Amino acid sequence: MITESRLKKVLHKGDFAVTAECGPPKGADPEVVRSKGKILKNHVDSVNVTDNQTGVVRLSSLAACALLKAEGLDPVLQMVVRDRNRIALQSDVLGASALGIRNILCLSGDHQCFGNQPQAKGVFDIDSVQLIQTVRRMRDAGEVIGGDKLASPPDLFIGAVANPFADPFKYRAARLATKVEAGAEFIQTQCIFNLKRFKEWMALVKEYGLTNKVYILGGITPIKSARMAEYMAKQVAGMDIPQEVIDRVKGVPAKEQRQEGIKIAVEAIQALREMDGVHGVHIMAIEWEEAVPQIVEEAKLFPRPQV
Amino acid sequence: MDKKSGDLNIAIFFCRQLDPDQDVNRRTLEKEMGERIRFFPLPCSGRIDSLHLMRALEAGADKVYLVTCPEGACHYREGNLRAKKRIAYAQSLIQEISLDRDRLELVVTAPGKRLTIDELARELLSRDDKGAKA
Amino acid sequence: MITAERKPIAEIKEMIAACKKVLVVGCGSCVAECAAGGEKEVGLLSSALRMDAKASGKDLEIREMTLDRQCVYEFIDQLTDVIDQYDIVLSLACGAGVQAVAEVFPKVPIVPALNTTFLGETKEAGLWIENCRGCGDCKLGFFAAVCPVTRCAKGLFNGPCGGSRTDRCEVDPDVPCAWQLIISRLEATGRLDLLRKVHPPADWSKQQGKGPRKISREDQRA
Repeated sequence: MITESRLKKVLHKGDFAVTAECGPPKGADPEVVRSKGKILKNHVDSVNVTDNQTGVVRLSSLAACALLKAEGLDPVLQMVVRDRNRIALQSDVLGASALGIRNILCLSGDHQCFGNQPQAKGVFDIDSVQLIQTVRRMRDAGEVIGGDKLASPPDLFIGAVANPFADPFKYRAARLATKVEAGAEFIQTQCIFNLKRFKEWMALVKEYGLTNKVYILGGITPIKSARMAEYMAKQVAGMDIPQEVIDRVKGVPAKEQRQEGIKIAVEAIQALREMDGVHGVHIMAIEWEEAVPQIVEEAKLFPRPQV
Repeated sequence: MDKKSGDLNIAIFFCRQLDPDQDVNRRTLEKEMGERIRFFPLPCSGRIDSLHLMRALEAGADKVYLVTCPEGACHYREGNLRAKKRIAYAQSLIQEISLDRDRLELVVTAPGKRLTIDELARELLSRDDKGAKA
Repeated sequence: MITAERKPIAEIKEMIAACKKVLVVGCGSCVAECAAGGEKEVGLLSSALRMDAKASGKDLEIREMTLDRQCVYEFIDQLTDVIDQYDIVLSLACGAGVQAVAEVFPKVPIVPALNTTFLGETKEAGLWIENCRGCGDCKLGFFAAVCPVTRCAKGLFNGPCGGSRTDRCEVDPDVPCAWQLIISRLEATGRLDLLRKVHPPADWSKQQGKGPRKISREDQRA
């Protein structure tokens, strides 16, 4: 049973890290999680488990991480601040650590109006930056918010998200700086289709002196179809998909669009590997985990290094 | 409405600018119809309040007209636009108590030929006579 | 002001269905400002209820009154001489006013004609927008007078979130992203440094309280 974060070890070692995402099911069947884990296991360093993404009720991230842990993977617990107050959040941080989960990704979460529980009360007791700060304080100072001491501190590698494509563009690097100051040690970005804009953001990030303070993993999502690309471009907040990318997928017959999507993803990963300050890739293959091994292999990132 | 159109109680709110001699011109109809017609001149149709329309209905009007100047011709620029919104509000309110929204009717006069209030009113009344509402 | 909106007439009718004599009481303050419960609105509602009763052959007597404020005893007292003549009071005050009247006259049934909504400003004639949630710990000075609790859909103190796009909030394209506004205002006035530190977690006990909150000022008490 691994008791150390594999992700942390790979990044510290200087290797180009590979993480992927696992979406838990809208159901209580643990096998679904286990089979996704099996698909991803040897092709990635760590696996993120989303936390009721878009406000849709799913098998909890904490439980799914525990299941993946038992399968020998290194999970990244995604924790949103939308659904739980600081008592529950800090409690789950302790619980995750007790279960041997060694990575946590702190985020706001999509607003509850988008999911299947739009009448739910959005909690937002603390925000994502305060959560980062809280986890670090629990780990490094051994105390909870308010100063009460913990009998034993949690051990977690702390991550946050960054969206190089949301507005205001100029401020995005400053926001990253705030997260790093709060305690973020690794960053996974929103999926990148506009490499040019991503490079501009990386330049700003470098200007802020952040590239040697935090490990940045570029997000990549393989496009499944032209329709999916158009949907994401129009409907998903904070996403930037250039027309050339959409046209490229459109230009290929429907049956071949998945492969084209994989090709685009692989090319993007290759571009990321060349970029200064980018330490890995985070592959978000939404309900298409099977694509991940192929992408990793074609990007020449298989086998994963020994750490 | 069960009444025959000839027995209806009518209230006409109208903009004074439509007929500067309205106080004289309306007397004939007032004599003919007696209590069944009431004229309410306004300095501008935009001065209408939804409450005036409600009170008119409550006082027994079967039909209430709000007559405005042609679009773009309001002496105070937007009065007739406001009038439109306020009668719409009153219409939705009376629908909530199951009254036909046509009990309140907005009449935007056509540009060009100027009618006296007497001619205007007679035209509206004759429309109702022929009309499908009964 | 406190804003409110009139309940649907069907709902109001149901509340007073069994009553023959109704005292309709408006309030001349906040709800008059947002055109929901002032003297005019009392008139509109009463007119509608009377016409409806007449049409259905129901016996209904309504008296219309409007107090300057419905949340202060000195004004509520004006009802003392008349209230006993009525079966029920239909109040067009905000929830505070409805309850204040009930405190003074606990034996008289009192029902609300309005749904009280939020604390806000009159942005323009006919448009009211929420801008305060009464958190009890005002931090507007740090956020260029844009309240993140109220105007950020996620109440972030270290925003914006990743969903902010072209200065709109992800939940609704008609809603501006409060954080974009905060940042541009601070930038325009050279105060972006206010955002450099991590803003700590809020003390929500000041908003939630232990049950209903209160303010007690000895210097103001009798």
